[in-house]
This record gives sequence, structure tokens and C-alpha cells, in this order.
Amino acid sequence: MRPFLITFGKELLIFLRSVMLVLVVLYSFTVDVYVAGQGVEMKPRNVTVGYVDKTGGGISQKILSRLHMPEFKPPKAFLSQKALSEAIFNKEIRVGLVFDRDFAVDYRKGRPAQLDVLLDATVASQSLITLIYLKNIVLDFTDLAMPLQIKTHKLFNQNADTHQFMALSELLSVITLLVVILAAVVFVKEKEDGTWDIMLLMPVSPKVTILAKSLSQVFIVMIGTVIAVGWVLMGAFDVPINGSFWAFVLLTFFYSFSSAGIGLFVAAVSKDVMQVAQLSIIIMMPLIFLSGAWTPIYAMHPILQKLSLLSPLRYYIEGTQSIFFRGTDFVDLWPYFGGVIVLGALLYLYGFRKIGRLF
Amino acid sequence: MPQLEVRDVTVRYKKRVGIQNASLQAERGEIIGFIGADGTGKSSLMHAIAGVIRFEGEIVYDGVAYHSPKEAERIKAEIGLMPQGIGLVLYDDLTVGEHLQFFADIRDVKQDEAFYAYRDKLLHMAGLSEFTDRLAGNLSGGMMQKLSLICTLLHRPKLLILDEPTTGVDPLSRLELWEILDNIRKEEGTIALVSTAYMQEAARMDKVLLFDDSKIIAKGKLEELVHEIEPYVYEKSPCEECLTIHGKSFSLKPLDAPHTTPSLEDIFFVNALKSQKLPPKIEIGARSDGTELPEIVMEAKGLTKRFGSFVADDHIDMQLRRGEILGLLGANGAGKTTFIKMLLGLYPIDEGELTLLGRPIRSGKDRQKLKAKIGYVSQHFALYKELTVRENLLYFANMHHIPPTEAIRRIGRYAEELGFAEYMDDFPSSLPLGVNQRFSVAAALLHEPVVLFLDEPTSGVDAIARAQFWEMLRLLKQKWGISILITTHYMSEAEYCDRVVLLKRGKKIADDTVENLYKSHPDAKSFEEIFLSYYRENA
Repeated sequence: MRPFLITFGKELLIFLRSVMLVLVVLYSFTVDVYVAGQGVEMKPRNVTVGYVDKTGGGISQKILSRLHMPEFKPPKAFLSQKALSEAIFNKEIRVGLVFDRDFAVDYRKGRPAQLDVLLDATVASQSLITLIYLKNIVLDFTDLAMPLQIKTHKLFNQNADTHQFMALSELLSVITLLVVILAAVVFVKEKEDGTWDIMLLMPVSPKVTILAKSLSQVFIVMIGTVIAVGWVLMGAFDVPINGSFWAFVLLTFFYSFSSAGIGLFVAAVSKDVMQVAQLSIIIMMPLIFLSGAWTPIYAMHPILQKLSLLSPLRYYIEGTQSIFFRGTDFVDLWPYFGGVIVLGALLYLYGFRKIGRLF
Repeated sequence: MPQLEVRDVTVRYKKRVGIQNASLQAERGEIIGFIGADGTGKSSLMHAIAGVIRFEGEIVYDGVAYHSPKEAERIKAEIGLMPQGIGLVLYDDLTVGEHLQFFADIRDVKQDEAFYAYRDKLLHMAGLSEFTDRLAGNLSGGMMQKLSLICTLLHRPKLLILDEPTTGVDPLSRLELWEILDNIRKEEGTIALVSTAYMQEAARMDKVLLFDDSKIIAKGKLEELVHEIEPYVYEKSPCEECLTIHGKSFSLKPLDAPHTTPSLEDIFFVNALKSQKLPPKIEIGARSDGTELPEIVMEAKGLTKRFGSFVADDHIDMQLRRGEILGLLGANGAGKTTFIKMLLGLYPIDEGELTLLGRPIRSGKDRQKLKAKIGYVSQHFALYKELTVRENLLYFANMHHIPPTEAIRRIGRYAEELGFAEYMDDFPSSLPLGVNQRFSVAAALLHEPVVLFLDEPTSGVDAIARAQFWEMLRLLKQKWGISILITTHYMSEAEYCDRVVLLKRGKKIADDTVENLYKSHPDAKSFEEIFLSYYRENA
């Protein structure tokens, strides 16, 4: 036990003496999570709208008046469709509406009237959501005699606030990234400096050293996580925590531990810190893609869905969202714990064999 | 007026001074040697003269004065710089011929008949004529350095700056490098500034500059410099306020002992006396328990290690006996480090048998019980840079399960005995290399091993620290009766060993006691020459 504690303490001391590293970790857990939560916006906001109105006003102006701040900037008039197209090409305008002469006439006469919409699809999600807005607006002008009404119940996140989701997703990505890189670097630096050879020759089981070193980095990330949850998630974004906070801490611990296993794997196959940087990115990208952080897993190709079972991040994201938003009971979280622990154990077995033994 | 004149050049880095107030003069065709340990300012001065770093002071070459890298641009066509490190300017995936083409193109050399004649002459001198199609990555260390040199010579520089071109290179290639240099300076009238880690090479130089502590401590002709210190050098005798190293005593006050012939290295010892920087005296106290060793401590039979198609160690037999200092000598890439790593189990053994302390080693499990008996100092002194000396030692002691009170006692004792007590709370990177070296050995001695493996512990360390280091090994052998295996690329250090094994490109070419080697080569003046004869026999 003494070698374990001594090594653990030594790693923390070395971490605290690397001022730059401490700053990077603090930055990642505070500013980075905050900016991601504030900055990424799924709903339309400040969308520039242009229009060509050949109808002479009336109905067209009524529709335009529905496009207001903060979602849309005041619509700008263009004289011809050509001028409007050019403005869209030059990114001055994202959404263009063309009311041609027949529009008002057809509408008044009760015939199907056609409104042409030009969308800049390079900003795909904002354009599509804008289109849904427009459809809703147009629907109000359509006199449908339909005895049907939608009554929405927003579950788990009453205001459909995307900031909370983005901040949480970013925090989970930061945890993954940092724990993998920190864990990989503590091993590779020793390999580079030659101290790892000395460690292997010590009368201490290399497994103890490996566990102590990786757990020290897990501990650093856990501290960072608590700071991020307390200050940024709860402080700045009012993220609710409907489940047990301790369940989250425990899940984070197991997840960080298995991610440190990935770091151990990276360290085992790299020669220097440079290779760690390259390899971590190559390994981490698919893990994040497949985790469901960016696309729901049910929307993926069936093969990718199966592959996603291999990403520990998948269990962690599902588990964390369950704890924060759904308030799932502790006992019902077992699939997430199970997935993370099994994957972590496999990675450590590989790491032990690859760098933790003498021949 | 001399062709090259350096006046009062100082190079400062952020936290330290590289070289202070250095001045020198050189005429056409002269070879000026820079001699000193790592970190004494040789490279800083070379880079300042080559105009690649900022410096204070003035350098005048061929009537052109420059004070900064920008002003030095005007004479860059005349300069050829070969930086330190084997094969550093080469590209592993280009052939020898492509290298010459590349260096000619990048220097914009006119490629006429005269150029090709010169190119072929260089290739011939370097012995590379037959290897123009070989990739640089597949050359030996010696060939790489010869190729680097002729690439540097391709544009016919008149000021050649070579930073340790021979360090770690095999003795035969080193001779050839010097011959190329000698030819060129005679034919082209080139000034060559050459730094070296080998004192014996000073004989090849017209003038030598001795570096210590970021200053030039002596300069002039070799014979004159050696002559100057003659009054201070005596045969070994007991004395006060003096230094006794390698069987000689140095004293500023007259001693009642016969004088003896000094060597270049001795200038550093006399300088230490003059500047009153007496090195701490090395002692070794008794160990806490006895040493029990079998007659044969380590026996290797046909030990082989391959990396792909490259054979790093080819069927090597070796024995390390009780209470013996065994020197494993060879150039860089000869397979010394690989061999030690196989002995320690850091690399798997591809073929052969190994017995350590009477135990056959077949897997990592056989090594568990031996861990407490083996001490190891790796190349470049593996220490934690973020921990102070004290913290490093405490950490190692803890990992060896030494009880804290005992650990503190031992650390204090080594700090006194090996002379690094004043550095206990410093970080390793801020220490002189020689101190780092002794404190690494202290880390390896904490658990009082019975066998010590040392991988190039003396590389780049200054003369005094090296002398102290060998003194320490001698005392360890004497007082503790332990066996020591040490690797080095300094052929001259063979003298301090009981027995030496010489490796050349993964093969063992000599294995005998020091006395026997001297006996079998009565004409040889130094070990350098004895080994050269083995190299020639096994070419």
C-alpha cells in the first residue's frame, strides 16, 4: 500500500509543479465548458432575412412582421430575385422570401398560393429550423377547418434549453480528452526520460505503479469535474440534478478510470509525447463520434450502432443524462456502470502486459 | 591581421550564460580545437561564430565584421556548420548520392565538371564511393558522420565549424574523419573549428581552447599548455590542499615528490586548484549487511537481440565475476545499451541463455527476487525532473521498501560521501552534469545492491567529475566487494577497468583483462591504439 500512496502523491506533486498544465486543466473545466454552453446555438438566432415583394404589400407584410428579434433580424427588401440571390451568395442573407405577383391574388381568391423560399443550406440546421418556423407562421394564415390541436409536454428539460445539454456534453468531452491525454503523458514522459525502466526494476509490482499513476490522473480530473459541475453547470446554466450526485461521481470515477485505460494503451504503443498527441486524436475521434454525443445512436447505421457498444463514452453519456435530467434511480444505472467497468478492465489488462513487465 | 578574429563574445540565454568573454584568432588552414565537458560553452561559441544565434561582442572574418546573425548573412556562403549529434543533418530516407545532390542544390553550387570531380574526391576520401545508392538510415554511425562532413564540405566553405563530429564514433572512422579534415585544410586553406570529447584528439589540432564553467580557461599550442603546468604535477604522494587523481598528485605548493609528465586532461585539474574549486572528496562507508556473491555473477551465452532485420547483439558471450569492474566498450550503435537492457529484462532476449547471480533467467518471474540485488543507472541519468534531489532519493528509497528513518540516514550519508549535500533541494536540471551523475549512482545504491549496471555514466561529464566517478567505483569495489558492469565510448577509460569487452556492430571483438591486453600489444602507447588494432583485424 505504501508504494501506491507514495507514487500517487508524487504524481500529484509533479502535476502541481507544472504550472502550465494546471492552467490548461482549469481552463478546460471552466471557461471551455462555459463557452461551449453559451456559444453553440441550435435554435435560429440573428438570422438575416431578405425578401422580394411584387405583391404591393398586405398579406406579404403581415407574414414578414412575424419574423422578429431575437430569432430574425428585420427583413431587408430587395428589388429583384437576382439581387436577393446575390446577397445570399455573399452570405449577407441566409433566408430569402419571394412573393411574386400571383401570390396575393391567389391567396385572396382562395386558390393555393405559392411562397418561394431560398435557404442557405450551408448553415443546415439553422436553415431547416427556420423553415419549420416559416411553415408554422404560414399555417396560421391557412384557414384549415381541422379539429386537431397539439398539446406539448416537454419532459426532463421544460424550457428545451439547449445550453444545458451543450455544456454537459462539452464537460463529458473534456473529461474524456483530458483523462486520456494526462494518463498517456504520465507514462510516456517516464518512458522518454528513462525513469520507467527504473520503475520496472524496483521491487514493487508494476501493476501497483501503473494503477497509482493512472488513478492520480483520474483524481485530478475528478476534482476538475466537481469544479465544472458546481460552478459552470449548476452556477451558470442552472442544470438540474434530478438523480443522485454521488451516483454521478461514482460513474465519472469508473468512466475516467476506463478512459485512463485508453491513455495507458496509447502510452504503450507510443514512443514520445508527440505520438501521444497524434494517436489520442486518432483513437478518440471515433470514440466520440460513436458515443452519441453528436448524433443519437438510434439514428446511426446499424453497423455503427453495434460498434458504438465499444465506446465507453456511450455508457457515460447515457448514464449522465439519466442522472441529471431523468433522475434515474441508482440501481437502474447498472448497464452503464457495467459497460464502463468491463471496457476499462480489458484496456488495463492490455496495458499491464504491454508496458508493465520484465522479460 | 588574422583571417578569423573573435573578440569578447558572450552568449546569454534566458536563465544562464552560454559563454563569457571568449576571444580567439585563427589563420587560414588552422585547426582550432574546443575541448571541455558538456555545458561549458563550446557549442554556444560555435553557434555564435556561425552566425546562428544572438551574441554580444564582435567577430571579424576576412575583414567582414559582424555582431548579429543578420550581419553574418554576408559571410554565410563561406561557412560550413555541422551541428552536434550523429546524423543530425541527414535524412534517413535519402541515399548518399541524393544527399550530396540536395546539399549542392540547397547551397546553389554550380554543378560543372570541377564540382563532380570534387564530389567524387570527397566520396573517395570518406570511403563512401561504393555506397552512393545506400539510404542514410542504413549507414553505421561512423559512415553517417563522414557523410555529414562531406555534405558540409560540398560548397567549399572556408570556415568550417564542426561540433563534436567524433563523439560516439568508432575509432577507425574517427581516424578517417581527421584525415579528411587534414586534407581539406591543406588543400583549401580552410579554418576548422572542431570540438571534441576525446582529449587524445588534441594532438591533431594546431591550437586548443580549454573550456570550463562557460569560460575559456586556457588556449595555445598543446605542448606549450602541457609544459606550463609541469611544475604542479607530481607522482602520487600524500599531501594537503592538493588533488590526487589517476596516480598523479597536483599541487600549487612544492611537494616532496618527483615530477611526472602531465597530460592535457591535467590542465583541468590544475585549473581547479588555481580557482580554488577543489572537488569534494569521495568516500564510501561500509554497507549495512555483507555481500554474498557467487564466483560468476552474470553469465551470458550467445545472447542475441534483433530489431527486424537489424542484429543489435549477435551471439555475445560474457562473464561478470565477483568483485570485478567490467568495461563494455564500443561506439554508438555497437549494441552496449541493448545488451545491458537484455541483462535487466527491459528487452526480451531473442536467443541465448542468461544466468544472473547463479539463477537461470527464463522469464520475468525469475527476476522478481533479484530486483533487490541489482542497481542500475541508465543513460542520461533517469531522474524525475520535477522533483528535487532529496525528493527523488526519498521516492526511490520508498519504492525499495527502505524504512523512512533508515532512508533519511542513508541519503544523508551518500550526500556527504559523494559530495552533493549542498544540492539536496535543487532540481536535477539545474545541477552540473557531474553532480547529476553521482546522485544517480546514489539512487542506484540506496538499496545496497551487489551488482551495479551503469550505462554510459561518464558521457559528456567534465574531467574532474569523471576522475571522481572512477574513484567512486574503485572504492565501491574495494569496500563493498560488488561487481560492476559499465559501458562507455571513451576507449581511454578501459584503463580503470579490471577487464574489458569490446563490441563492434553487435559482435564481440575483444574480451580480456587490462594487463593481458597491454602484454599482447607491447608497442601500443594507449588503449586507443590497442582497440584500433582490433577494429582493423575485424574490419
